[in-house]
Amino acid sequence: MEAKGLRLSSGGGIIGQRLSGSIAAAILVAACCVAVVPFAFMLGASLMPGSDVTSIPYRWIPEKPLWSNFLNAMRGSDGDWIYLRNIFNSFVVATTVSISSVFLASFTGYGLAKFKFRGRGIVFMGIMATMMIPFEAVMIPLYLTAVKLGLQDTYAGLIMPFLTSAFGVFLMRQYLLGFPDELLDAARIDGCSELRIYRSVVFKNAGPAVATLAILAFRGQWDNLLWPLLITQSEELKTIPSYIVRYTADLTADEGTMMAVAVIAALPVFCLFFTMSKYFLQGAGVYSGSKS
Amino acid sequence: MTTVRKKRSLEARRNSWGWFFVAPGILFFSTFSLYPICNALWTSFHNKKLLSLKPPKFIGLQNYAKVLSSPDFWNSVRASATFCLGVFLPIFIASLLFGVLIASRTRGRRFYQLALYSPAILSSVVTASVWAIMFDPRGLANQLVNGLMGTPGIDRRWLADSTMVQISTMLVYIWKTVGYYTILFVTGIGKIPASVIEASIIDGANPWQRLTRITMPLLKPTMALVSVMIFIGSLKTFSTQYLFTQRGAPLEPINVLTLNIYNTALYEQNLGRASVMSLLLFATLLVLSGIQVKAAGSGEDM
Repeated sequence: MEAKGLRLSSGGGIIGQRLSGSIAAAILVAACCVAVVPFAFMLGASLMPGSDVTSIPYRWIPEKPLWSNFLNAMRGSDGDWIYLRNIFNSFVVATTVSISSVFLASFTGYGLAKFKFRGRGIVFMGIMATMMIPFEAVMIPLYLTAVKLGLQDTYAGLIMPFLTSAFGVFLMRQYLLGFPDELLDAARIDGCSELRIYRSVVFKNAGPAVATLAILAFRGQWDNLLWPLLITQSEELKTIPSYIVRYTADLTADEGTMMAVAVIAALPVFCLFFTMSKYFLQGAGVYSGSKS
Repeated sequence: MTTVRKKRSLEARRNSWGWFFVAPGILFFSTFSLYPICNALWTSFHNKKLLSLKPPKFIGLQNYAKVLSSPDFWNSVRASATFCLGVFLPIFIASLLFGVLIASRTRGRRFYQLALYSPAILSSVVTASVWAIMFDPRGLANQLVNGLMGTPGIDRRWLADSTMVQISTMLVYIWKTVGYYTILFVTGIGKIPASVIEASIIDGANPWQRLTRITMPLLKPTMALVSVMIFIGSLKTFSTQYLFTQRGAPLEPINVLTLNIYNTALYEQNLGRASVMSLLLFATLLVLSGIQVKAAGSGEDM
């Protein structure tokens, strides 16, 4: 990493180098500030009374941190604590989807990567084709299908359309293609059943791909607004995004509390981000990474 | 001979386990991807209302004709196209610039990447709600712009004016996605073989020449990929527009296709027309995805 940086900035005079180097750093630091400012605003405002959030001039640091905003955010404007329930729902949905998408995707990906059965090419192409079907284009027919299956306004309805993803299958297949066949054969000679091989040889060694996919799936559901909006009616089954929309739509709601609601929603994913940033960046780079 | 045949049949039996592993996946994708898209096609030729119990009637191309002749649909096409084109250049240029700059640094690469990527972590609804507060008439956005331009007390009407609300949704989207594409560029630059760059240094190329003659041409596949991804991603935008309109912003200027589909299906309960719009959006995205696969494929020659 270091050697490469030196290479890119060598040549030209030392002064020129330093100058262009510091210009680059200045641009990057400015960009990072722009990226981070709304976070600072969100955090600061979540501890202010609403009148301070829209005060002119705006003071970034709350005079006295107003922790009750967070209590009010949880309690909700109707005092029914429904936000807690919605947070719980988001956890249930995101965790279930994350676990199931890892299992189903690795299962399917393993089948596609390591068995030369007849029709494999067609199955693979078929699944890849569904990757091109964007959710936004099938949500209405999907909704009708879900209603037919009796999934309306249920947890199953929130979860089932996302049990796995074509992208996940693709990711796992690519990863498992590189898995050494010798290990599988050795396990077979030892008398392992195929299922056991999958469980204790393949899945256990797919760590990085599993982590990347689990995080992508969790985040996807944590962020999902459109589908819960369609499939759920009762407030008890709604997830965080729809609650935020409802709260923000209320123009009389206190802005400080609104930002506290936002901070609470952002917190879990940011905890994940700070502890597992490597897999986040890997997840982001998957597209360009799949090329090599 | 017999042992060979035995071995073959053993292998065939083992390979049929493949079906066992892919079967759950096939079941899932048939139910939740293939069936709905076929169903959408069917619905688009029928007169179907959301809560009606009447059996849908076949009406041929009437839904298509109705959609294609409605000014509301064309307004959505305009809104989506404006949004796509409006965000494309800023995102592309900024992420390419940041990507190249980050790759040129020796220290702090990881920090820059994480800081720039952090907006992409924030869920889109949270993002929209934070920006909605900043776009308040007395909010931070007015104060910053007025401070920079020396025009105190002017309200830019971020969420009220029909032009401004389009710009506002674009700003939010640009802020949120630049970091993601920056990472794609950093990854792409990292894939350029060191030997190529070393050779150019030995040949006496200066940093600028290396950037324009080596890095940029070799980065073309990544550029193509990122361009298509920006188009696809921005065509799918929904949350910001939805939340802003729920907070009282005018619908018409930012009534992008996804939002229109949602409203047509849920409020007008007209599934036939919603399906037609879905399919038209799908066709557009399919063409773009096809280009994306090509772009990603051409990267393999790199």
